[in-house]
Amino acid sequence: MKILNTNTNDEELCLKAFEDLYHVDDPEVGLNVIDLGLVYKLEFDKEKKFLDAIITFTTEFCPMGESILENISISLTDTFPDWEVNVNVEFDPPWEMSMISEAGQEFLGY
Amino acid sequence: MAAAGITGFQETTTYKVVLPFYAYGALSFFLSALLLFLNTELFEHHHFHPITLTITHLMALGWGTMVILGASHQLLPVLISGKLQSVALGHLAFVFTAIGIPFLATGFYQFKFDWVLKTGAILINTGVICYLVNVVISIHKSKKQEVHAWFILAAGLWLFSTTFFGLLLVYNYHGNLIFTKNSVAYLSLHAHMGIIGWFLTLVFGVGSRLIPLFLISKYNSPKTLWLILILVNSGLISFITLKLMGLSEVFYSLPILLILSAVVAFLVYCRKAYLSRIRKNVDMQVKLSMIAVLQMLVPVLVLIVVIALLPTGDKQQLALLYGFCIFFGWLTAIILGMTFKTMPFIVWNKVYQKGKRTASGAPPAPKELFNHKIYEVTTYTYLIGFVLFIPAILLLHSVLLKIAATVMLLSALFYVINVSITLFHKA
Repeated sequence: MKILNTNTNDEELCLKAFEDLYHVDDPEVGLNVIDLGLVYKLEFDKEKKFLDAIITFTTEFCPMGESILENISISLTDTFPDWEVNVNVEFDPPWEMSMISEAGQEFLGY
Repeated sequence: MAAAGITGFQETTTYKVVLPFYAYGALSFFLSALLLFLNTELFEHHHFHPITLTITHLMALGWGTMVILGASHQLLPVLISGKLQSVALGHLAFVFTAIGIPFLATGFYQFKFDWVLKTGAILINTGVICYLVNVVISIHKSKKQEVHAWFILAAGLWLFSTTFFGLLLVYNYHGNLIFTKNSVAYLSLHAHMGIIGWFLTLVFGVGSRLIPLFLISKYNSPKTLWLILILVNSGLISFITLKLMGLSEVFYSLPILLILSAVVAFLVYCRKAYLSRIRKNVDMQVKLSMIAVLQMLVPVLVLIVVIALLPTGDKQQLALLYGFCIFFGWLTAIILGMTFKTMPFIVWNKVYQKGKRTASGAPPAPKELFNHKIYEVTTYTYLIGFVLFIPAILLLHSVLLKIAATVMLLSALFYVINVSITLFHKA
């Protein structure tokens, strides 16, 4: 399991988050949000037990946006049950092809 | 203790507004195909015929407009980067239109321009006003007005122009109470306001957003879309002007050229989106939508043949073929394609969004909410039926007409079954 494009201040906790996030798919694409490169940032504040996540969608107009946001939020809360989790959606920088992992590109037919 | 702070994200419209439109559209398509099957001899008559008028309005309003209104309510937030102003107006738009269409269809079927037809026309206009007010306020309050918002606005205005003009034609029918000529003389104006102004403009606007979206293509060219918007509207306005001036059909080459240019520009736009797609495996729904874009050329070519090659000949069958290639052609194809790219998401969001899961754990993907085998059969029967109809109409071959109508009816039946499977999906 690799961190890929996600910015983080704690690799260990980031990988722990990934374990469950690998099971959260973009339902339209059928690919998980990590291989798709949708998780931009996971920043952990161990003292305050606060997780700040920044995610994106393949397009600002993603019809499944609400669902992806909800499922990422549920996944992170399940992984860190006694933490406060904040998930924000940003489109800067816009998601692009280069953010997809090799496994993801293979899945999409490259 | 999860708190999902949201920035730059637009919530979608509730399914309660959207799904009734899809259900109504599916039933209207089936009813239209059934009427066509039972009345294939209508191709021997003039297009101002009770059954032809009934089927045309069922297809245009019950099928095309209802599905597109549903999709439009759903997609408005992503098209205008804002939210739908009023859910209540969305419901009212459905209720008024849904009640009005059977009145209108019954009026045409009985061929009586009495209170039944007038009630239908008034109710439909009321529904359209609800939709238009909702669209205008939503766009006005949205953060940014991109070209897609202008497509929606222009299409909405043309829709109201079409239905209001239709209402006036109903009142004008006996005794020319409103216009100088009989209503039949204005039919082509009424029809093209709807076909070009409403359907084509809206399909251009929505398709230019949805096709790249479903292909996961980053292609975007606002300049091309502005050009398409200007071409299609100037084409329609010039047609209306020429028609009202009473000039000969030779002059219609200008609006045809403008609209053909818009169609070609849209084709090029879709092709570029297709070539730059990230998702290489294209599903059948998107393929059918791309075929629908190609089908847009067919009625334009029929028109060119009518005006350029047959200036004085018998055009009756060609006029009917022209209408058929629009309502049962690209309009139906794009709806058949896009229904199962949009509706499963709406149902999926309804059933699974709030953390709901199936007994076995992970929820199915939206594409698993409909039956793919039935979808394939729907697509193939539709394409076969459409292709068979072309020689059948041109040759007025009664057996071929019946076979084509049977195949088209089967397609509509399979479509209704699959829509039902999706609509009634449970976790």
